[in-house]
Amino acid sequence: MGQKELKVAFLLALRSLQRGSKSSVILTVLIIAMCFTNMIFLPSMLNGIGQSITKQIVDYEISDVLVDPKTGTQYVDDLDATLGLINGLPGVKRASPHYTKAATLKYRQRTLGVTLRAISPKDEMLVSPLYTQMTAGSYLGEGDTGEIIIAKPVAGDPTIRREDEFQPSLGGVRVGDSITIEFSNGYTKDYRVKGIFLTGWYEADATGYITWSDMEQVEGKTLDKAEYITVKAKPGYSDEFIKNELLQYGVTHRVQTSEDVLAKNMGRTLQSYAIINLVSLIVSVLITTVVLFIVITIKTLNSRKQIGILKAIGVDKGVIMHNFGFQVIILAALGIVLGIIMALLLNVYMAYHPIVTADWTTSLYMTPMDLATNSLILFVAAIVAGYLPAYQVSREDIQSAMRA
Amino acid sequence: MFEITDLRKIYRMGDVEVRALDGVTIDIAKGEFLGIMGASGSGKTTLLHMLGLLDEPTSGKIVIEGTDISQLTDHEKTMFRLYKLGYVFQDYALVPDLTVMENVSLPAMLRKDRTEEQYREDSFGILQKIGLCDRRDHLPRELSGGQQQRVSIARAMVNKPEILFADEPCANLDSENSKMVLELFREINEDMQQTIVMVSHEDWHKDYFHRIIRLRDGKIVSDGDNGS
Repeated sequence: MGQKELKVAFLLALRSLQRGSKSSVILTVLIIAMCFTNMIFLPSMLNGIGQSITKQIVDYEISDVLVDPKTGTQYVDDLDATLGLINGLPGVKRASPHYTKAATLKYRQRTLGVTLRAISPKDEMLVSPLYTQMTAGSYLGEGDTGEIIIAKPVAGDPTIRREDEFQPSLGGVRVGDSITIEFSNGYTKDYRVKGIFLTGWYEADATGYITWSDMEQVEGKTLDKAEYITVKAKPGYSDEFIKNELLQYGVTHRVQTSEDVLAKNMGRTLQSYAIINLVSLIVSVLITTVVLFIVITIKTLNSRKQIGILKAIGVDKGVIMHNFGFQVIILAALGIVLGIIMALLLNVYMAYHPIVTADWTTSLYMTPMDLATNSLILFVAAIVAGYLPAYQVSREDIQSAMRA
Repeated sequence: MFEITDLRKIYRMGDVEVRALDGVTIDIAKGEFLGIMGASGSGKTTLLHMLGLLDEPTSGKIVIEGTDISQLTDHEKTMFRLYKLGYVFQDYALVPDLTVMENVSLPAMLRKDRTEEQYREDSFGILQKIGLCDRRDHLPRELSGGQQQRVSIARAMVNKPEILFADEPCANLDSENSKMVLELFREINEDMQQTIVMVSHEDWHKDYFHRIIRLRDGKIVSDGDNGS
């Protein structure tokens, strides 16, 4: 098949689309575009959920690297020395210790059981963006005592009746209010609410934070231990590098990158998402393939006589086959371009109107690679769907084609 | 130029055997305007399709300028049709989505020995000859039946074929347009020494032919000069 033949095939294809049935072209392009959008939407949505959960876990739970006790031990002991060692390593931005304790919060007639977290506010600011999520009041200061920041769902809304609440709350605590906290060891104290935050991550939004020194008062001793330490890497340093460095420099506790932790805890979820994505992809590709197969088959059946005439005047069967092939390629290309535009518009819309659930907030997450891969898959499917009937009809003998 | 020997075409319909062509032997000389006439079902279109390599004979031999057609592959036959043969069909058979100019240029575009400039020149020239230059950007549906048939003749002529086949080219035309088309064939035949083989069942068409072959039941019943 030479250049001239391909040129003629392209001319026939182009003219057929330009001067043939406009509604058929528009409908086919729309179907391909919608199939493309469908192919990209669900995986992007699931990716968005995955990304959102991952980001929130990293931001509010484990940071880039998590140091926690080895199996059989409850705490990271010798905290000062461990923090000193970690903070001194190149590539480490900051290490932040965490200590939690179960407590009952009391405000007016309401009581609420939560697990309170003790942090060193200055360290935590370098590791977690929690301080940026204050909706009222302010973040904890390093020397604060008797002060607490609580999540908005914990504070509650005074306009919502208790029976209508999505999750139990204190019924409308405001900044400056005093709440009584009874810890699981029996220690009880009144705390002033210094700030209210909302992260969007359900675990963080079900708790409150107090300073390390306040927790020492609760425990009645200096705390040289933590339940876990979150470590933030400086820009340009990978989590894996930090992990290896910690192990190499003698951190004897369990060290895991965020990826390690997520793989363990979210592996099944991500696997399920992958299966859903695959099924969705296969269905979309099948729909596109079948639609294009039908469109081109109808086109070839309606053009049988013309195909016979073309063959009679000396047009090679390859030209006839590529004529229909090019039509599919043009239709698929237009459909994919429209599909990409639709997907991007949907992406923008969902960035402004994310899907919000009690557990996570998400919008679409799609990369140029996702768009390219899906375009390629759809394009190949379209070519196969178009060329099959085109190949069949191009082989028909002149007499039977002309009699059609 | 054309040597056809003992050509037979037999169709089988269940147990019934239909002899569409039954031992046809003819020679066609260069520059002839040959008419194939006969009643409906006499085998004239079948003969034209055999000569034009649009169908395979059951037996017999077709030799065109020394080439035995039965020896050609499918692709070679296609190329033979493109380079050496031209066709005019009863229902014009123009590509509806192409303009007049594009329809006429189509066979010329595929020739490897012609540049774009050459085939445009050839197409323009032939459209001038048939008097449809001013309609070159129109689509077939915007033309009358007579005009469409003239475009079909232009398409058949653009590659300057050795032989031009016309299968009842006036069947869908009124007598005025039929005359116009037949005059065009005569002009092409006389001015360009174009060999033409035309199938017709209209008796008055015979005035235009140099030679007439009459068929009945797949056999030649007469073969002679016009008026003989």
